[in-house]
Amino acid sequence: MAAEPELGLFRAKIANVRPLVNMLKTISFRPRARCVINPDGLVFTVEESQCLVAQAYLRSELFTTFAYDLQLAEYYRNQEQAGFEAEDSQGGETGDVTQVVLPLDNLIECLTLFYGPSGASSSGSLSGAHSTTSMLNSGQPGDLRGATTAVIGFNGPGTDFELMLEERGIISMCRLSTFVPEPPVDLKFSHYPTTQQLIIRSEWLRDAFNELDPTSESVSIYIASTEPHFRISTIGESGITDMTYSNSERILDSFFCNEDQENQYKLSLILKCKQALAMSDKTKIRINQRGFLSFQFMIPTAADVSFVNFVFAPLVSADEPVADATARVVM
Amino acid sequence: MRFRTLVTNSNLLLRIVQSIDKLSKTAILKLTPTKLHIIVITDIDSGLQLWSDVVNSALFSDYHIESAQDNEIYVEFNIDNLQRALRSTQGGALGVTLKLTKKQGMPVLSLIIRSQSAGGRDISLCQDVPVRMLSAQQMAQIGEPQVPEGQIHIMMPPLNNVRSIAERMKSVGDRVSVSVNRDGDMNVRVANDLVDITTFFRGLETLTYDTQGAAVDRGPNEFYTAVVDMKNFVRFLQSYHVAPKNIVCCVVEHHALVFYVYIGSSAYADTAALNETACGSLTYFLPVRQI
Repeated sequence: MAAEPELGLFRAKIANVRPLVNMLKTISFRPRARCVINPDGLVFTVEESQCLVAQAYLRSELFTTFAYDLQLAEYYRNQEQAGFEAEDSQGGETGDVTQVVLPLDNLIECLTLFYGPSGASSSGSLSGAHSTTSMLNSGQPGDLRGATTAVIGFNGPGTDFELMLEERGIISMCRLSTFVPEPPVDLKFSHYPTTQQLIIRSEWLRDAFNELDPTSESVSIYIASTEPHFRISTIGESGITDMTYSNSERILDSFFCNEDQENQYKLSLILKCKQALAMSDKTKIRINQRGFLSFQFMIPTAADVSFVNFVFAPLVSADEPVADATARVVM
Repeated sequence: MRFRTLVTNSNLLLRIVQSIDKLSKTAILKLTPTKLHIIVITDIDSGLQLWSDVVNSALFSDYHIESAQDNEIYVEFNIDNLQRALRSTQGGALGVTLKLTKKQGMPVLSLIIRSQSAGGRDISLCQDVPVRMLSAQQMAQIGEPQVPEGQIHIMMPPLNNVRSIAERMKSVGDRVSVSVNRDGDMNVRVANDLVDITTFFRGLETLTYDTQGAAVDRGPNEFYTAVVDMKNFVRFLQSYHVAPKNIVCCVVEHHALVFYVYIGSSAYADTAALNETACGSLTYFLPVRQI
């Protein structure tokens, strides 16, 4: 009964669930997530309103052991498709053979079962950044003080996602229902050339986010090859808020701009990445020709860096010339 | 009707009242010549009940009680009020007296606390807890739940562990299944459409009681299970002020989950070791959920 998930299609062990929990919490603003299992790791994806897609990449190196039977996965997929006409398989590319939808909020609840009443639950506050970063680092091998270990298993379509958690001799077995995934929402960021890019230290971006006027519907991001190189603004009930950054090396890194552009995005969606921003050291911002925005958050974990990606569709198309974008209503 | 006593162990009395604080707003106090009983009934049909008794000598001295009902007195009181009154006894009181009296025509339990000010002067603080008197007939209608002999008794794992896990499991469902076997295993399970969680506690001490005529009908690894309200389970686990250790769990299948907390006689001990004479006990009845 209290047995480890058997080695079937996929099984992974992690000595301390904290880094895993922290990564999942960056995208936990939706109850369900798509989980793709491939030989390199796990990718959890959530989407909202077809204009926001967020992904957390959990590389196999994050785990103590990681076993994925690709052959078995392909066998299951062929089984599934045996009854259908030759439709587009959802995992067309190699590596997306195993996809499942599971309840993300329940998964996090289970992983944090032993956290205790004080709970290491991270609030949405950005000032928690330092403590959450050090929590990530407490996943070092030597520090097992109060650490929950977990074994995760999945045996193919139609089966439950299994977790076995252990801390100080107490064991919990959790089974999560899985669902057949629908066609994924793909905002196709990489299908169009990237016209603007910069890397900024996350603490600067956190400052900017704290200044954003929550009464504003949208947030505007302007990147140009001349000063000011990078500007984030909102127009709300209390007026216009502008945060600008110059292209000095202390602030912006790897900056390029092929086309001066200003784009608007829905503020409430942009704010969904606050958790990921809070945990990251650096953020890579890219905008493509169609005005789609990508935030790539670089989050330090025990050995190296893990990534969480957010892609946003713009509110207004990027076809408007820059001159029009400056004719704003001033309150 | 007369009741007056010196309180020699106000700390123990406070901790008992703190333990019942989360269960309900009000409780019943039954005072007898030998024992003090506290009874909490949350909802007569489907709720948790707490029945407790403590020998007077563990709490009081110079005890005087007199009434027309066999020298017993029954009152209903607000738990928070009594708790707050008892808290003022902590921190260096020279003497504490408890008595039943009338203030402005209403019955109150008066707690009189004598202490010394910084300047060396005697201070007397009086805390009044309004109570509602209960008649002998009313008291007779309140009886301990009739529950058959339990099939199995086991020592609970450290309550703090169970409590923190149960608090995190409670969002999953409103009923929890507790299964126990003679091998010392306890499984706590909660489930809904999306998720199913079972937590396993191992290596617990089972107690063998001589129950005449009760046949042992199951193997040592077979479980006895009771499904109770998650809310009641968590409420019980939250009342840990008296004794986080040495709590006995008893499964009475199809009827109830019963927890026995034994109170030790030493002033600051968490609880009596099982072979030490306890000065009192708290018994929690959690009825099984009727589906």
